[in-house]
Amino acid sequence: MTVMNENPTSQARFQQSGDTRRSARISAETVSTLAVAILCVALLVGARFISPSLGSWSQVETVLVLGSFLVVLSFGQGLVILTGGLDLSLPAVATLGGILATNWVGASDPGAWYLLPLVLLVCGCVGFLSAAGIVWLKVPPFIMTLAMSIIVSSLLLGYTKGTPRGAAPDAAVALMKGHLLGLPAPVLFLVAFVLLGWLFQSRSIYGRYLYAIGTNVEAARIAGAPVTAMRILPYVISAVSAGFAGLMLVGYSSGATLRMGDSYLLPSIAAVVIGGSSILGGRGTFLGTVGGAILLTTLGTIISAIGLEFGLRTIIEGAIVLTALLLLREELFQKLGSLWR
Amino acid sequence: MSDIATTSAAALPAARSGPAPRHRLWRLTQGAGLILGLYVLLYALYAYQQPRALDAYAIAALMNNTAPLALAAAGQTLVVLSRGFDLSIAGVISLCNVVLAVYPLEGPGGALVSMLLCLAIGGAVGAVNGWLVAYLRLQSIAATLATMIICQGIALVILNAPGGYVSEWIADELTGRLWGAVPVSGLAVAAVVGLWLLVRRTDYGVALYAIGADEPAAALSGVNVRRTRFLTFVMAGMLYGLAGLMLSAQTATGNPNSGAPLLLLSFAAVALGGTSLSGGRGGLFASVMGAATLTLLQKVLFSSGVSSFYTGLFQGVVLIVAVVFSGLLTRIGERK
Repeated sequence: MTVMNENPTSQARFQQSGDTRRSARISAETVSTLAVAILCVALLVGARFISPSLGSWSQVETVLVLGSFLVVLSFGQGLVILTGGLDLSLPAVATLGGILATNWVGASDPGAWYLLPLVLLVCGCVGFLSAAGIVWLKVPPFIMTLAMSIIVSSLLLGYTKGTPRGAAPDAAVALMKGHLLGLPAPVLFLVAFVLLGWLFQSRSIYGRYLYAIGTNVEAARIAGAPVTAMRILPYVISAVSAGFAGLMLVGYSSGATLRMGDSYLLPSIAAVVIGGSSILGGRGTFLGTVGGAILLTTLGTIISAIGLEFGLRTIIEGAIVLTALLLLREELFQKLGSLWR
Repeated sequence: MSDIATTSAAALPAARSGPAPRHRLWRLTQGAGLILGLYVLLYALYAYQQPRALDAYAIAALMNNTAPLALAAAGQTLVVLSRGFDLSIAGVISLCNVVLAVYPLEGPGGALVSMLLCLAIGGAVGAVNGWLVAYLRLQSIAATLATMIICQGIALVILNAPGGYVSEWIADELTGRLWGAVPVSGLAVAAVVGLWLLVRRTDYGVALYAIGADEPAAALSGVNVRRTRFLTFVMAGMLYGLAGLMLSAQTATGNPNSGAPLLLLSFAAVALGGTSLSGGRGGLFASVMGAATLTLLQKVLFSSGVSSFYTGLFQGVVLIVAVVFSGLLTRIGERK
């Protein structure tokens, strides 16, 4: 697909001005990230015209709180996609995190300080198993994580006998419902998470390794990147962050259900793709993904505030995802970028 | 054009697998040998547990359960062969199911119109997918994700909660047996497989495998990549339409979410059949057998007294083992 997209003008430009690869790449990514951010703000402000209750600061807070689940989930999904894979086990692992937290820890267990990390460790192990199958058994990521997802869901079904019990740990409730410095705790957490995620993906050596591997595994190997470890890492991070999202979901809704992660699989992929990443790997930034996740959540809250029936809301949501995809096409930004230079 | 396309498609796998590619093991994994063997083994186990499993009635019931997933997986296979993913499968099946349950048309004539309606719905959604992916060059996962959501929404608008009745003729005849022996649902799947065996020998079929294996090479050899990809999505959509028809015949009622469980299972069936998710290798019959194996596995586990909670555990493990094993066979075959 990639070779077919090569348009003659970009080749000509490349020959004219020498090596402009670095500047061209960063520019295209920044432009698409900015476009998503502007779209978000425009939507939030524009929503005032639909209903005066929309577009207020409290709505922004709602969007950020609801979007925090998707941001955490799509951070892991984004890393996996960056290395050319795909993680379909996110919903199952998120549910795993939530169910274990309610079953093992409960509301006010004094052992929460070591049990909660243990829950995340179990989730990380699931991610490691997926990665082991992908790296050593050479099972395609799509199939391995799909199989893992089916297996984990089925084990959870057996473990809970179909009806999950237990209450949300206090720590998770405090994270999602608490306030700090006059701001909701999840919003502060979101800011910290985005900052750390950005530092990891764009500013750390590990992040650069992941880009290298996503672009060309063999080249990365020759360049001395620890390829095996760096192919395992995204799946482990993805599973741990999914488990954490499960904790957040439990804290927000005060209980776990067996299907609580299901509705996040496709949005987690959509957020990454709308954020300007290539599904084939090697391109995209976390800030873009965050924009995609917030955009999707904004749309969701606006559409549900309009009060249309559920079916029509779904149609509009799909149409908007499609429009965003069409508007944010990479070729479009390459063309725009070439106009500005 | 056909000559060039044929030679390029024939040359590609050969180049990939070394000087002596036509090894027996290698051919086994390309076809459906592995999955067919697994199915026969599983069926033997099933017949051992349940002696009545060989009755015409039991066979028909099994085929009725298999047909929707088999047809859905058949459509998915086409898209996967062209190195794409089609998530709209869930939306199309739900949409067809809902249309059949809300507007039941009685009699054989009504059933024919219903079938054409399903084919039209699937074909139309497939055409949109094809246009987005082939001509506007959107990533197939993303584009079909959007069309899936839209179809799901339309299905919800037509029927916002499970209900309605599928016409009696469809519910009875499509799940029945011809002459008391041949299950109609099995016949429908066999017809699709037969049709595919013809189609894969046409220019289109060769081109499909060629763009899946190596798109630039296929394009350079004169294959019309866009048209091939477009047609693939349209045909896949029509197969989902048929899957929706068979599902409606089986459940006899409407549910706006009826297609959702088939989304991931269709990929599982395709992978179990040994079709490469990176395109260009595999076949439609193997996926049909993959779907049949997944369905049969459920029955075997049920009759072995395993709690239905753990069906997924076994499905997942079988999926991983089958993929690892078929990969191993391919590698052994390529080495010799």
